[in-house]
Amino acid sequence: MSVEELVRFDGEALGHARHTVLADLTLRLRAGQRVALLGPSGVGKSTLLAGLRQRLGHRAAWCPQEHGLVPPLSVYHNVYMGRLERHSAFANLMNLIRPRRDAWHDIQALCAELGLERLLKRPVAQLSGGQRQRVAIARALYQAREVFLGDEPVASIDPHQARRLLQMVQHRHATCVIALHQRELALTHFDRVWGLRDGQLILDAPARELTLEDLDTLYPDAHSSDVPPEPA
Amino acid sequence: MSAERAPGLLAGDSLNLRLARRSLGLIVLCLVLLPFADLAITTHDPWAELGRMLSGLVHPDILATESLPHAIALTIGFALWGTLLGVVLGFPLALLFSRSRLLRGGCAFVRAIHELFWALLLLQVFGLSAVTAIAALTIPYAGIFAKVYAEILELTPRAPVDALPEGVSRLSRFVYAELPMVWSRLSGYTRYRFECAMRSSVLLGFVGLPTLGFHLESAFREGRYSEAGALLWMFYLMIASLHLWGHRRLLPWIALGSLFLLGPWPDIDGALLWRFVSVDLWPKPLLEGNWNELWQWFGDIPDLLPAIGNTLLLGLMGTVGSLVVALLLWPLASRHFGNRPTRTAGKGVLILMRSTPELMLAFIFLLMLGPSMLPAWLALSLHNGALIAFLVARHADAIVPGNHALPASARYAYELLPRLYGGLLALLFYRAETIIRETALLGMLGIATLGFHIDSSFAYMMFDQAFVLLLITAALNIGVDALARRYRPREIANTPGHRDHPTGEAAC
Repeated sequence: MSVEELVRFDGEALGHARHTVLADLTLRLRAGQRVALLGPSGVGKSTLLAGLRQRLGHRAAWCPQEHGLVPPLSVYHNVYMGRLERHSAFANLMNLIRPRRDAWHDIQALCAELGLERLLKRPVAQLSGGQRQRVAIARALYQAREVFLGDEPVASIDPHQARRLLQMVQHRHATCVIALHQRELALTHFDRVWGLRDGQLILDAPARELTLEDLDTLYPDAHSSDVPPEPA
Repeated sequence: MSAERAPGLLAGDSLNLRLARRSLGLIVLCLVLLPFADLAITTHDPWAELGRMLSGLVHPDILATESLPHAIALTIGFALWGTLLGVVLGFPLALLFSRSRLLRGGCAFVRAIHELFWALLLLQVFGLSAVTAIAALTIPYAGIFAKVYAEILELTPRAPVDALPEGVSRLSRFVYAELPMVWSRLSGYTRYRFECAMRSSVLLGFVGLPTLGFHLESAFREGRYSEAGALLWMFYLMIASLHLWGHRRLLPWIALGSLFLLGPWPDIDGALLWRFVSVDLWPKPLLEGNWNELWQWFGDIPDLLPAIGNTLLLGLMGTVGSLVVALLLWPLASRHFGNRPTRTAGKGVLILMRSTPELMLAFIFLLMLGPSMLPAWLALSLHNGALIAFLVARHADAIVPGNHALPASARYAYELLPRLYGGLLALLFYRAETIIRETALLGMLGIATLGFHIDSSFAYMMFDQAFVLLLITAALNIGVDALARRYRPREIANTPGHRDHPTGEAAC
């Protein structure tokens, strides 16, 4: 059985204009893989996701953290922005003045599933942190793409709800790469784990072969004595 | 043993010492040049005149002015439409602002000419009509909006745009992910600019347009001080109550309603307009390409160099005066000094002085003291000094002093001023452009700056001369702005100026 390979990095360097974050990166993303991306903050998870997003283009739905939202606009408009490119500029403009009927129904249904019902007209600025994250997820789901890329989409959501949201995301996307910091979720809800540390991909293994202790090695704070301190 | 020698006077390398040296340099320069300024008091008894004016303020006669409601309605109508059209023109320009050097230059030029000079120029074509009044506000405001909006848009957070899917059109991206992020700042600045427009609209009366200023000027000039007092109170009331009637939902209705009052609209003769723009405004030797005669033409402008010198000198004096006034007055409105009644009174005085336009203040002082540079100097110093003092006091109120037991003088000199001085100076340098702009304008009252010659050139229908003087004024203004920008203290991260006016140089 041959599985489609969606993205392939062969010893490539990823980073910003003048600053390499991940040097010599080699990995593959295959269709149908559910990948958890782990690593301490600032290690380059966002850089890797941005690299994947660039490669996948229109095939990927993108769910950044809540700072991708537009606080003065309503929940409805923020979710609608997931399909901004599928309508004409004029239709988008009109939608700001009067919501499109079809979009309103779709988004209403989607938001109900995410526990955001009755908040559609409210500006995102007035929502709590958890609610904003769910709006960001709603927007990514509304994009209805093949692959879901999430940069800590469930970071400030309680574990029970985080599980439910991950299930919802995975129900709609056969393939996903999601950055997390809840290690337990990585083992229970994903097929594969990618672990980053010190600018390297040091872990790329099926989730069922891993234990929580294996994942601890990604985090310098987990062990106190045998790991050298992270360079500043 | 080698003890470190105590440093000399103002010697040292700390930021505040450097700023102190810089400001002392400015003050010394001003003192050295002061003998060249004409500061004579030519009226017989200034104090008695002041007494009569004050008694007019105390006993205002609101019914003395005919058609007062009409004047008020026109003042508001001009300001509203001037601002509105300024936004309509300025906003698209803001989008192109960073791309075109020509556009930036053009905007700097229209900004550098005061609303009243625009009015004088437009008056020649459109007469005493609403077109003149509104265009006189719209043209410079379009330049200001273009610059300030561009600066605000530049600070739009990137994250929402980065989060958008690929292939979103430029317009959709702008209205969904960029504009909403800066909307409140844009509308806040527009509101502030409308307040400026209200003041300018009043001033348009000084060139004969029938706003509140027209009645104010004639009442003052003819010594009807009770009427003048009433009009002055009316003006303050209008500015102070702006937040009551200047509501977002109410303004469109006021704008539409005022349309009925703005007429009659002038008949515009296209051929005449073209002749004015293409022939009348330009020196004849220039149109004929005769360079020798052009030099002679320049030589024939009366007192050109003294006028430029006076404008610069008065600008310098106004800046230094504002510095001194601000240093003296800010404690009046600060919670660190005095008690509640003194603070309320101090705040009141500062607000009153900063809401009165320089031209109006200068006009009142002129009636008191006679025509010299003295009334203009006082007006510039008091208006701008009070404005800066008010902002500095607000900044001071945010400071928690470390030692509460200090006497007031020590609190001023050791606790507060060292932390405030950089911000104060930054504000002053921001104001320098406005001060020089106003300085030229004050010439219209008969003070020998460039404005005087512009005004009289228009009066003698020497449009080419007036226009060239306007160009010189604009160039002077742009030059002073560049100079002030260069010497503005940059080391202060969070100056009050940045907080209160995102772009202080465009303040009115």
